[in-house]
Amino acid sequence: MTIRTRLTLWYAGILTASLLLIGYGTYREIDEQLRHEHRREPVEHAISETSELVFQVGLPAVLLGLLGGWWLTRRALAPVKKLTDAATKIHERNLREPLPRTGNGDELDQLTKVFNDTLARLDDSFNRIREFTLHASHELKTPLTVLCGETETALRDESLSAAERDRAASLLDELRRLARIVDGLTLLAKADAGQVTLKLEPLRFDELVREAYADAQILAEPQGIRVELAGWEDIALPADRHRLRQLLLNLADNAVKYNQPRGRVTMHLRRANGAAEFTIANTGPGIPPESLPRIFDRFYRGDAAHSQTVEGSGLGLSIAQWIVSAHHGTIQIESAPSKLTTVTVRLPLGS
Amino acid sequence: MRVLVVEDEKKTASFVRKALQAEGFAVDVCHNGDDALAAARVAPFDGIVLDIMLPGRDGLSVLRQLRERKNATPVLLLSARGEVNERVEGLNAGADDYLPKPFELAELIARVRALTRRSAENKSNILRVADLVLDTITHRAQRGGTDIELTAREYRLLEFLMRSTGRLCGRMMILEKVWDYDFDPGTNLVDVYIMRLREKIDADFEPKLLHTVRGSGYVLKERP
Repeated sequence: MTIRTRLTLWYAGILTASLLLIGYGTYREIDEQLRHEHRREPVEHAISETSELVFQVGLPAVLLGLLGGWWLTRRALAPVKKLTDAATKIHERNLREPLPRTGNGDELDQLTKVFNDTLARLDDSFNRIREFTLHASHELKTPLTVLCGETETALRDESLSAAERDRAASLLDELRRLARIVDGLTLLAKADAGQVTLKLEPLRFDELVREAYADAQILAEPQGIRVELAGWEDIALPADRHRLRQLLLNLADNAVKYNQPRGRVTMHLRRANGAAEFTIANTGPGIPPESLPRIFDRFYRGDAAHSQTVEGSGLGLSIAQWIVSAHHGTIQIESAPSKLTTVTVRLPLGS
Repeated sequence: MRVLVVEDEKKTASFVRKALQAEGFAVDVCHNGDDALAAARVAPFDGIVLDIMLPGRDGLSVLRQLRERKNATPVLLLSARGEVNERVEGLNAGADDYLPKPFELAELIARVRALTRRSAENKSNILRVADLVLDTITHRAQRGGTDIELTAREYRLLEFLMRSTGRLCGRMMILEKVWDYDFDPGTNLVDVYIMRLREKIDADFEPKLLHTVRGSGYVLKERP
């Protein structure tokens, strides 16, 4: 039950009680008067006089009061409704936008102020975490550069034995993986802080898809995986060329990596509901339902990803999601164990 | 060939210097922008490796100063910021190339080599390495007189490798020049393409021309 209904019901109760009280008082008064005047049948007369009064004057007054009360509670609670509407739109990204205040200093205005202060503090904390990630990834780059460089220099040493060379090379592989993780982290931290600007230009999406298709075929060949482009339409849209290619290659690479030997990858590009819809499906091991909601989380790796010993940064899908949302599109994954896993990307066609 | 390395991080500066010296470059090192400008004023260099983040005057400002003074020494920018737009900003300021940190040493060397040899680049339409011939106008490839079918991407890869004959080509450099990627996709795309290209140009022929340099990249040359 809403506060408004509750208040109105209480109000109706109080009004009815007052009406009864007034009715009873009136009855007593009339009865007294009639007895004083030695009239006969005082009781019946008093009752009819009282009910007449109550029904003709009291009841309309109560109804009016109720209507007034209904209107009053609505007026009093309107700011609460506005506050609720505004508060439901709050999420991590727009903490900076405060809730609108009436500025009249009443209780609700005070509440809004407290709320805004809390939001500002939250925003501060979020910013500090973002800044921390950004600084951390910058700080990691210098020692990483030194480590990679020294290891590479060591690898060039002609006097190294085969075993030492192997060790240095495997160290270098891991260092490069670390470097890629730091790179991805930097990109995401920058995106979080709103420091990445996309270079939008009119693009032929289908050309990029066909290019990703060609690359995927090459990537899939060693594992005997078949890649097909089931269909495409000529689609032009405004987008950042590099980021979109990164997105497509990332999805294609995933579809090949998380697949079974002699499996299949199917791509498709079409126009649907005023958007470009790109799907890529593979015969992978599937993603268990409990992993699906977290699949875009940074460093989240489902069981399948772990058991397959596939090397990755753990950031690929987070980056893919960022690229899509930066283009005001949506990305979604449908999957179930031992069924086709399908990734669908929808990008607006633009004006 | 004389190269100036401007890098405030001592260890990075030191291994870059060692690596370039090992490749036969004469190397001078500066740790801040003002020293770099002073050094560039006194001596002519064939190339400058310039870190963007420097104490005091930063790399971009050094670069602008150089270009303002009509100093056209080729410059390779290094940056730890890895900003997507930074590359464009650097190239606009007059840089000739850009390499984000952490970089691969082989990559750095290959780029410095390309930088200092830029003017001497092979501009001919017919590229030749041993009996491998590539016509850059008709896109026709032949080895020992036999035609070789290449896809568009394979052609671009081969042209790039042949134009850099004898020089080590890092993975990132190949991705950038052949695929036009400004990011490391973290895939083994380059390795797989090289494998396919090797099938076509090397499998049935001697001597082998396309060599892998462990942990660094690839090089196309007659003798290993």
